[in-house]
Amino acid sequence: MSVLELVANGLIFSSILVLGSIGLSLIYSIANFANFAHGDTMTVGAYSALVTFGAVGGLGGSVLGLPYGFFVALLVGAAAAAVVAIVTEKIIYESLDIGSIGLLITSIGIAFIYRGIIQIRFGADFTRFDIGALRPIEWLVPYGVRVTLHDVAIVISAAVLVGGLHVLLQYTDLGRKMRAMADNPDLARISGIRTKRVTLWTWIIGAGLAGAGGVFLGLFNQLAPRMGFNLLLLIFAAVILGGIGSVYGAMLGGFLIGMISQLTPVLKMVGIPIGIEYANAIAFVIMVVVLLVRPNGIAGEAT
Amino acid sequence: MSEPVLALEGVDSGYGDAQVLDDLTLHLDRGEIVCLVGPNGAGKSTVLKTAFGMLTPWEGTVQYHGDYIGGMAPEEIVREGIGFVPQTDNVFGTLSIDENLRMGGVAREDDRLDEVIAELYERFPLLNEKRSANARTLSGGQRQVLAFARALVMEPDVLLIDEPSAGLAPNTADEVFADVQAVNEMDTSILMVEQNATKGLNISDRGYVLDQGTVAYTDEASGLLDNPEVSKLYLGG
Repeated sequence: MSVLELVANGLIFSSILVLGSIGLSLIYSIANFANFAHGDTMTVGAYSALVTFGAVGGLGGSVLGLPYGFFVALLVGAAAAAVVAIVTEKIIYESLDIGSIGLLITSIGIAFIYRGIIQIRFGADFTRFDIGALRPIEWLVPYGVRVTLHDVAIVISAAVLVGGLHVLLQYTDLGRKMRAMADNPDLARISGIRTKRVTLWTWIIGAGLAGAGGVFLGLFNQLAPRMGFNLLLLIFAAVILGGIGSVYGAMLGGFLIGMISQLTPVLKMVGIPIGIEYANAIAFVIMVVVLLVRPNGIAGEAT
Repeated sequence: MSEPVLALEGVDSGYGDAQVLDDLTLHLDRGEIVCLVGPNGAGKSTVLKTAFGMLTPWEGTVQYHGDYIGGMAPEEIVREGIGFVPQTDNVFGTLSIDENLRMGGVAREDDRLDEVIAELYERFPLLNEKRSANARTLSGGQRQVLAFARALVMEPDVLLIDEPSAGLAPNTADEVFADVQAVNEMDTSILMVEQNATKGLNISDRGYVLDQGTVAYTDEASGLLDNPEVSKLYLGG
């Protein structure tokens, strides 16, 4: 595998990680707890898309090697993740007055519930979207890069979603309210911001992005009930590295952790006997080193 | 005598199980600046937080123009016409000055937001110069000005101000007090807590001396300043 191919894989994996990291960071900064069910929210998105794709997969033509039906399934996956997260927030988290640690532990239980329901319905085995595998993009092969149009679709879609979030945060009333609330929730209320509404939108956006990330993860690898949970530690690493509570930090952290984990084989190329099986460990070591220098993460504390 | 714009009557309030206010009664008339003074822990800030819905009164009533507002949420009280400038953490540090002002106007229901913000930029040129800068880059005095301006975007009828001079150099504090008077002259009634009692009372019409959660003395501001007992016990004189 060439270094360029590792970089390409890093870019694809980072795209997925960034979508998960943004949601975790948004929810942390506004709902004020580390949501351990976030990884499984990604799984909810992936399986909802799988079911939808089963129904509408044959729809129309295709873009970047993906049938139109896949994009419909992507939207449904993101929406389903958002709905499940809102229902959980309204019924469980909002009614509990147990502080952020209590909510964190509750979210671990919620994660088990999401996963259990998926496993009951779909079993514990791996599954895939019923989309034919593509050949690598030919003109990239001579450079040692074997990526498919599906991979390109993942990167472009993630970039569009991240760009959309940036526009929302910087240029819309809701985005400014979200940033204000993340900055100072008491002052937000004093200013007249109806914080419950903003919190609800944050869940919708954060879980929706996680759902989309789950769909892409399913397309990049395969689907399994533990797929989101398995990614959760890396997502936490990304969010902490970027600066917990900072959305832009989460984007940067997701990108860096994704790249680092996929570039691990470079170590072997330069004679250091550390293989891809240590990818996560390397990512965490780098996170720890960065935190020793910048305890609040790269982007500090706030959005 | 006309009805007070804001009145607290027989109010008990506090944090968790800890009672701070004990049968407290005070009022603010239209056009007044009223200053709350007293030792640390007397409950001055608690009065403002209770009036603004950040604390729910355990007993007693809070009335605004005769309507009961005790226990109403702050984001709704803002819409009634009361503004609050907290002592600390009173700006959104990661938002630009312009965004801070826009956040101050989220509860406006008319389409005059841009116009009001433009007027505030005219009144506080410093904010206009730095409108794109993040609020965390401002000095303490500049932050206080921004905190005021943020609360004024709603053009409140009543402004509650918690220790406007806290942490400011004397010259800067004087400028902030001048701003308080200027805001008052635009028909905004002001209930202010001030640690620097003499300076606070100097710009006020009336004052209340709070001690142990209740009103120990009340009088015209000049009367309190001239009262030897108040001066000795509470004004460090």
